[in-house]
Amino acid sequence: MTTASGRAEPSRTSKPAEPGALRLIWQHRVDYAYVLPSIVVMMIVIAYPIYYTIDLSFFKTPPSLQLRDKIFVGMENYGAILQSDVFWRVTWNTVVWTVASTVIAFALGFGAALALHRDFIGRGVLRAILIIPWVISAVAASYIWKWIYHSDFGVIGAVLVELGITSRPPNFIDNVNTVLPALIVVNIWREFPFAMIMLMAGLQTVPDQLLRAAKVDGANAWQRFWHVTFPHLRNVSTVTILLLAVANFNSFIIPWIMTGGGPSNASHIWITHIYELAFGRQRWGVASAYSVLLFLILMTLGYFYVRALGGNESKDRGT
Amino acid sequence: MSTTSETLAPRRGRRRIDGWRWAGRVFLLLMIIYTAAPMAWMLLTSIKSGFAAMQFPPQWWPEEPTLASYAKLLDPQNSVGADFLRFFWNSLFVSTMTTILAVVVAVPAAYAFSRFSFPGRKFLFFAVLLRNMFPAVIFLVPLFILMRVLGLVNTHGSLILTYLTFGLPLAIWLLKGFYDNIPVQLEQAARIDGATRFQAFLLIVMPLSVPGIIATAIYSFIAAWNEYIYAYTFLSKNDQLTLPVGIQRFFSENTTDFPGLMAASFLMSVPVVVLFLVLQRYFVRALTEGAVKH
Amino acid sequence: MAHVVLKDLVKTYGSFHAVNHVSLTVNDGEFVALVGPSGCGKTTTLNLVAGLIPVTSGDIMIGDRIVNDLDPKDRDIAMVFQNYALYPQKSVYKNLAFPLQMRKLTKEEIDRKVRDAARVLDMTHLLERKPRELSGGQQQRVALGRALVRDPAVFLMDEPLSNLDAKLRVQMRSEIKRFHQDLNATIIYVTHDQLEAVTMADRMAVMNGGFLQQYDAPAEVFANPVNMFVASFVGSPAMSLVPLEASGSGDTAALTSAEGWTLPLSAENARKVARATSRKIVLGARHSTIRLHKSAEPGAIPAKVYTVEPTGDITFVQAFLSGSIVNISVPASVHVSPDEMIWLEFDQARIHLFDGETEMALKAA
Repeated sequence: MTTASGRAEPSRTSKPAEPGALRLIWQHRVDYAYVLPSIVVMMIVIAYPIYYTIDLSFFKTPPSLQLRDKIFVGMENYGAILQSDVFWRVTWNTVVWTVASTVIAFALGFGAALALHRDFIGRGVLRAILIIPWVISAVAASYIWKWIYHSDFGVIGAVLVELGITSRPPNFIDNVNTVLPALIVVNIWREFPFAMIMLMAGLQTVPDQLLRAAKVDGANAWQRFWHVTFPHLRNVSTVTILLLAVANFNSFIIPWIMTGGGPSNASHIWITHIYELAFGRQRWGVASAYSVLLFLILMTLGYFYVRALGGNESKDRGT
Repeated sequence: MSTTSETLAPRRGRRRIDGWRWAGRVFLLLMIIYTAAPMAWMLLTSIKSGFAAMQFPPQWWPEEPTLASYAKLLDPQNSVGADFLRFFWNSLFVSTMTTILAVVVAVPAAYAFSRFSFPGRKFLFFAVLLRNMFPAVIFLVPLFILMRVLGLVNTHGSLILTYLTFGLPLAIWLLKGFYDNIPVQLEQAARIDGATRFQAFLLIVMPLSVPGIIATAIYSFIAAWNEYIYAYTFLSKNDQLTLPVGIQRFFSENTTDFPGLMAASFLMSVPVVVLFLVLQRYFVRALTEGAVKH
Repeated sequence: MAHVVLKDLVKTYGSFHAVNHVSLTVNDGEFVALVGPSGCGKTTTLNLVAGLIPVTSGDIMIGDRIVNDLDPKDRDIAMVFQNYALYPQKSVYKNLAFPLQMRKLTKEEIDRKVRDAARVLDMTHLLERKPRELSGGQQQRVALGRALVRDPAVFLMDEPLSNLDAKLRVQMRSEIKRFHQDLNATIIYVTHDQLEAVTMADRMAVMNGGFLQQYDAPAEVFANPVNMFVASFVGSPAMSLVPLEASGSGDTAALTSAEGWTLPLSAENARKVARATSRKIVLGARHSTIRLHKSAEPGAIPAKVYTVEPTGDITFVQAFLSGSIVNISVPASVHVSPDEMIWLEFDQARIHLFDGETEMALKAA
């Protein structure tokens, strides 16, 4: 009964023509100036390489990378990849590496964030210590752990012997069965702090009122966590897991420095394998085809990434 | 409600919370050991002699601590030291230049993404974010060729340019988070008070975004400082190498000098860890600003 | 000071029309309130006048200039924002000085004007503080001060009181009114609170759905709302509106309820009803114009009490009448209780009649 909208001046309904897209772009031409430098840089270093990689994946290339001499081979590179045994081995490694690293790093980060949520003396110091592995270079981390895992003088082996668990120090790195888990431990060491930071910030946004209301309603600590805190962290968790998964999928440094993919490909993952194909064996075409496949997988992940972020990117300011 | 249930209920609740708290403490202790023990072992090894490091069972605590490894690495007269200091300087140069360029380019872009609604704005923003998803390897071959065409192979320019590709999207994202939190009314007020749009940005928004810019700068710096794969591919001349690649080279020449390697790892970590500890608050805030908002 | 003219002003966002052909004139020295529910286009209109967003079509004149294409800085206006928009990194002094610096005044002039404004607003002791160290009321005063130092042609205020608590709001209301009288300033004031508009403004422009509904002195808007929206929006408690059916014709017309009773109309009201586009008529009455009887009276119609709200000196009674809720105010000495039957007598000279189809007020001739 209150909506008299429009009734006061009902006669005038003519509106100006909808502005065309070109006119809109022209109207906002000054706005683009702010973004232009970024766009130019991106075009050079992102769009061009992606185009180039796709193009190269259809060619057989000489090791010298003299591109005049490349030969068009159609889908042959892709066929070669899918038929090779190494491909499936490396793919399995990649799945294990990515899933295990992501899940465990997230779980440890979540636990640490919860444990650090309550204020206590020394909390800031502990938090800083826990974050440091994430700040230092992966190269340094690789060497530190390589020394810790050392087959003769490694500290872990020495501790195991000292405790009487084994008689001789085990060789983690040069063992086909243990190398991947050993590297995953290093990777998690570097990555759980990231999950911790994200979730700590997320925890701060859980409204106290809701927790108090749940307490009044008779929920115990676990029920409060499960029904209030955890649902509230769903957004942050999704973004964190996706970022971790992408980072793990794209890992290179730790396996490359610690094992170079060995022994007998047991620690090769996609990225190290592509790198070796390209720069080790100069098989540029095959490496490009691999990259394109990788690209497709990442686009799928990216779709979810954007969708997860899209939830946060909804508010629109316009002037 | 009867008195018994009133007094019983809280006690039972408190006991249960205590259980959780103890579990939390034990977990935290284990995490600290996991985190700190490798770093502690790095430091302990770095102050041993080469001989003392290679013992079984190991010397849990160095019996004759020595700073010899550090002295060697930091002595410009020594060939190892000269190399190490050169690598250090190269890393510093590349990281600083990357940081400056990333901030200079990202500030206007992030501001635009935060404030203006122009056609394609959303698409562009997600394009920026998507860049973060792709591994260096995809860009490696074409960029390598591009650098060859531009004559930039074996120059720091090639690294700075490529570091911008991963530094920039992230810098834009982080900064946008900060700009989103600056009320748009402040600029409107400034424009009504007589400022042009640009003056409003420069005089009002910029000073307020200093924490964001600091955070973004640290982030770019640390990422550039730790970058390995491009540096490893684009640089082959010894005097151009950055620290991560340089240390690898050093290690492949001195495969058993673990104290030296640990000292080098430590020295390499010092700048970023110090930077992080000093500016921790900005850093953590920047990282979470974009992702945590509701 | 200057007058402001909006001529056929339109603002669209894509296919959404935020402001629809609004035309109004604000006289020199006049205090005009733009009032309406959220999303009615009042803030958009203000932002158009400020130049913060571009006009889609129509003209804006400040003084004798068309300012459509001028930057905000060149329009000679000052604006007070809902969240005050004080520059958080600057002290109060520097906040006040900023607009003057932008206009390239000398240091001495700036200092003199800032201190004058601070004295007028009684905040000399706050000059060195940062905005976050001030209370809400003090921040509000600094925001006013920043508008004041400039000596602009027009003051624009965007819900300046809505972030304050109730008591402070009443106090600041009189301060702003005082400010207007002392400066003889032209003020355009946006608010969603009709009470602020009624108490402060010389004229109020009621907006809804991007359209200007009525533009007149508050007393006139209150007494003669042009349509049902304005009738229900202005005044508190809101005017009661009861949809009924017209019956009879000529001077003997009456309003009939589905509940069975009939309300005879005066000759003038009957003429109004005759002009309606259909037989659907909405009866409007303000709480103070309805008399409540505890027993049947000739001319009074039966209703059932829903709630009773004593406020001290008067008591508000809400009653069901023909399926609608009607507000009645009675002296505190009258006692009624929920579900009790009561009889309501309408003052024929002060009831409002609306066309049930167009929702417009019906006029006699």
